[in-house]
Amino acid sequence: MTRKQRRLTMIGGALVVLAIAVGLVLNALRDSIVFFSTPQMVAEKHVPPGRRFRLGGVVEPGSLHRGDNLAVTFKVADGSNALEVAYKGILPDLFREGQGVVAEGALDAGGVFRADTVLAKHDETYMPKDVADALKKQGHWKDDYEKAAKPGKPMQGASR
Amino acid sequence: MSLWFVLALMTFGAIFAVLWPLGRRAARQPEGRESAVYRDQLAEVDRDIAAGLIGETEAAAARVEIGRRLIAAADAEEAAAPPSSLRLRRAVAVVALVGVPVLAGGLYLRLGTPAMPDFPLASRMRAPAGGQSLDQLVAQVQAHLEKNPTDGRGWGVLAPVLGRVGRFEDAAQAFRNAIRYDGDSATRRAGLGEALAGAANGVVTAEAKAEFERAVALDASDVRARYFLGLAAEQDGRPKEAAAIWRAMLDKAPPDAPWRPLVAAALARIGAVAQAAPDGASAKLPALPEGAAAAAQGMSEGDRAAMIRGMVDRLATRLKQNGDDVEGWLRLARAYMVLNEPERAHAARDDARRALAADEVGLRKLNEGLKALGIDG
Amino acid sequence: MIAEAGHYALVLALALALIQSTVPMIGARLRDPALMTLARSTALAQLAFVGISFMALVALHVMSDFSVANVYENSHSLKPLIYKITGVWGNHEGSMLLWVSILALFGGLVAVFGNNLPLSLRANALGVQGWVSTAFYLFILLTSNPFLRLANPPLEGRDLNPVLQDPGLALHPPMLYLGYVGFSISFSFAIAALIEGRIDAAWARWVRPWTLMAWMFLTLGIAMGSYWAYYELGWGGWWFWDPVENASLMPWLAGTALLHSAVVMEKRNALKVWTVLLAILTFSLSLLGTFLVRSGVLTSVHAFATDPTRGVFILLILCVFIGGSLTLYAWRASSLKQGGLFAPISREGALVLNNLLLTTACATVFIGTLYPLGLEVLTGERISVGAPFFNLTFAPLFVPLLLALPFGPLLAWKRGDLAGAAQRLYAAGIAALVAVAVLWAWTRGGAALAPLAIGLAVFVIIGALTDIAERSMLFRMPLPIALRRARGLPRASWGTMFAHLGVGVALIGIVCETTWNSELISTLKPGDVAKVAGYELKLDAISQRQGPNYGEMLAHFTVSRDGRPIGAMTPSKRSFATRGMSTTEAALMSRGVSQLYVSLGDTAASGAIAVRIYHKPMVLLIWFGPLLMAFGGLLSLSDRRLRVGAPKPAKAARGLQPAE
Repeated sequence: MTRKQRRLTMIGGALVVLAIAVGLVLNALRDSIVFFSTPQMVAEKHVPPGRRFRLGGVVEPGSLHRGDNLAVTFKVADGSNALEVAYKGILPDLFREGQGVVAEGALDAGGVFRADTVLAKHDETYMPKDVADALKKQGHWKDDYEKAAKPGKPMQGASR
Repeated sequence: MSLWFVLALMTFGAIFAVLWPLGRRAARQPEGRESAVYRDQLAEVDRDIAAGLIGETEAAAARVEIGRRLIAAADAEEAAAPPSSLRLRRAVAVVALVGVPVLAGGLYLRLGTPAMPDFPLASRMRAPAGGQSLDQLVAQVQAHLEKNPTDGRGWGVLAPVLGRVGRFEDAAQAFRNAIRYDGDSATRRAGLGEALAGAANGVVTAEAKAEFERAVALDASDVRARYFLGLAAEQDGRPKEAAAIWRAMLDKAPPDAPWRPLVAAALARIGAVAQAAPDGASAKLPALPEGAAAAAQGMSEGDRAAMIRGMVDRLATRLKQNGDDVEGWLRLARAYMVLNEPERAHAARDDARRALAADEVGLRKLNEGLKALGIDG
Repeated sequence: MIAEAGHYALVLALALALIQSTVPMIGARLRDPALMTLARSTALAQLAFVGISFMALVALHVMSDFSVANVYENSHSLKPLIYKITGVWGNHEGSMLLWVSILALFGGLVAVFGNNLPLSLRANALGVQGWVSTAFYLFILLTSNPFLRLANPPLEGRDLNPVLQDPGLALHPPMLYLGYVGFSISFSFAIAALIEGRIDAAWARWVRPWTLMAWMFLTLGIAMGSYWAYYELGWGGWWFWDPVENASLMPWLAGTALLHSAVVMEKRNALKVWTVLLAILTFSLSLLGTFLVRSGVLTSVHAFATDPTRGVFILLILCVFIGGSLTLYAWRASSLKQGGLFAPISREGALVLNNLLLTTACATVFIGTLYPLGLEVLTGERISVGAPFFNLTFAPLFVPLLLALPFGPLLAWKRGDLAGAAQRLYAAGIAALVAVAVLWAWTRGGAALAPLAIGLAVFVIIGALTDIAERSMLFRMPLPIALRRARGLPRASWGTMFAHLGVGVALIGIVCETTWNSELISTLKPGDVAKVAGYELKLDAISQRQGPNYGEMLAHFTVSRDGRPIGAMTPSKRSFATRGMSTTEAALMSRGVSQLYVSLGDTAASGAIAVRIYHKPMVLLIWFGPLLMAFGGLLSLSDRRLRVGAPKPAKAARGLQPAE
């Protein structure tokens, strides 16, 4: 093989691998990304049941109910709307009423958000960034959260 | 060693690091050569052959390749390095001598605070405090007293603060220490009694009562001691005696005494049988049902604990049947905290929230109260 | 005085870095030996001053000097001593100071052990190090200064985040930084080579030990971080494809590629241009990782807004170093001479494939990490890219990589014999097929992919062993001779074996843990028994304890199997008064390389306690793998050919030096 042929072989091989990688990425981006919503966005957009998304907001004070066998329900609110969330399992240490939270899951037929993952962040003044931004857009924002929220802390979560 | 001396010393060190190599003109620097690497590679090929890791033909090809690199490298290295230029060296020396101090000094004076001394934990104790949160102050003083346990005045300052933040047992100990190391006084005896009563969840125990009596013996006009003696009488089931004590207090009190409303309210409580919730400081000290406390007097520690336990359990049962009593829930949670049973306190919290789910005002009140108890969550 | 002296030492280090970044490079241009040697002394002095500065900050934290804002915000007088020290780098400012201290440390190491380098290369490389240091000193001093004072010193600090009060995390950031920053050396050498316009096989040999060292630390750092997340976060996960983790994985992938391409360059003088590019990319990804994690921009674009000066400064540094070095590369790369030739099927070809797959995998991680950021900037839509994305992209790229891995070391340089290599891998292939068959039969009806993946891991492991057996001619020569040969092999060959072995071992751990882990979440009262994977856990009692700065609730479990007690586990929940928060301390019990894992949840209304129990088969292999890899790196590093600073047969070389 001449130098040129060798080089062409190599470039061809590289292009094949890259093409496969691009295919994989596009495929994965179509199927596996998860959108972020607040209760208000859910109400406006009529998200169909069964589609996974991340729900962010503040745990409504007094809405937390613990049932049998680690089942919990609570409401996630963003100031204008609230959405009932059902979860089964152990909540993260920092999960508290009145604090920001992000839950991942999907709506069921009855309009209840069935979460399989609940995330809270490792900082007592923490408001998950997603939540903070969404709340800020809607004008329900406390400035002191912003000052106190420090980036770069590890997330803490609970998942079934 | 003053700060400026240290800074100057460091500056000299930095300048020296720059000037030092400039002054060593004659010394030949050790230097690596590319050709050395290729010679090493040739030696490695020989080793690989000896070890049988590569074949003769491969080795020959490798030798040719490395040899080519070696020649190229040796050619490049033939060119001799010119001697160092004195002018350049001087220029760099001037840059170092002037630039380093000017740059470092200038930047530091803008950013630093050279006038400010260090302020480590040890020296901080002596410094005056201002604008600190109560918890911080308490921790502060406690740390100090751990090292100087005989500082009676320190204990005297700390004790009432501890009582105010609800750490009654610590407060009682602090009052005892203050009395031991800094002398007796009516105020301290009364404080001790109050702390003991607080620790018993508002029951003026025999021990507490003894302290109030001592306080009154030291100073007959000590308001707090007399108020609590009245409370003791009430809890002992002698409301008339209690009313007499309090009435006497009100009679002698100046009209603008801040404690007047409190005593008046207490008086009204035993006057009217209706259980109006007392306000102010006395809210911390729920009155016991008549008769029950009478029995508490003269009981052994264990019996009294059992009695308190029974009362708490009755409260819990009552709340289970009729759950919309916010104050009751808070009392129950506090009782559990005092009895050192945080799990039960948490359980009570959860029960209370469930029971009050429909009552928004009550719930808010509950959560505030729980926050004060430190078990909101 | 300590605070101010530390502050001044940092400023002095900046002044020295400025000199280091200019004078030696001018010297290299004019070929002035005195100016070039200046790089050495300034690098050492810089190390000394930044060391003073760092020690000063440590001392301030230990003495709880709350007149220093950084100490006030991140420490507490009642904190245990060890966490007072580790708290130094548990925050942004302190971690940046640690970063730059490690940078200076590596500069100092090059200065001390770089005697085998040509003077001009050392001067230029240290000069580039000087640029990086300068940028970081300025960043620290102007936007993240740890030595700023408070006019009215508070009496008590605000404590360190309790989650960070953990021995694992105390070591994790320094390890990670040793890795990140270690790649700055290969970067500096690459830029120096571009400036000189000349790069050769010798360059690769000089750079390789530094790359290897950085790679080892990064490997350990990532493994440590993963183990920390596993036992501290309390839900048994060990890798979350979290942006923070991806930020450390990307330089690792690029660095692994660099390590392999540098071999080609050293042996065959080929892939020079590519290797230089990889060196630049690896450090760029390290910079990106450091900053993106620290600035919080990965969780949200708006994080930049919280501190605009810091954000703009970070962008500036990234632009200057990544953009600048890539521009220089584009400009000078064409002037680098082409190297040796090789056939596609050859050791070089295999290493090219390795590079191709590793960099592509790195690129997919890059896209997955930064795509949400880009989308938010462009459309305002917020998405999260989680594990499914990476499982669908990263994993398929790693399968061919692992399949090809055993072939690489068996192929000859220049022109390899694929059939011959395949023949020698018969044993490995058969072992892999047997493993697949056995697992399939054993777990009938279970996951179909897991046995295949484990078969792949077995192939990699046996393949690595085959390579070393081939080299020592085990089974072909009498045993004593083979053993002698094995001992005589270059340590780098052993290093290769251990590193490749580690890959297979880690893969087994990952597959077993994800496929066959069993989990039980339930509420238990004292006296209750939970059964998981054949183990019985009885909750004996719940007790309370007071720690140095926290209260702790402990649950005491007795673990038994088949009725025989085998030990006790006490998971706990700690509550920290100062921050009003609690942490979960999981209890772990190792059974071989498998683990039982118990963590506590809330106390339910009934007084029962929520408990999570996992049985994680083979989970420890996940971290043994990286340990093996790092050990392999250490072996290679100790190879006499690469030993840092070992004087080459220099006597002959010295004869060539012109007398002055």
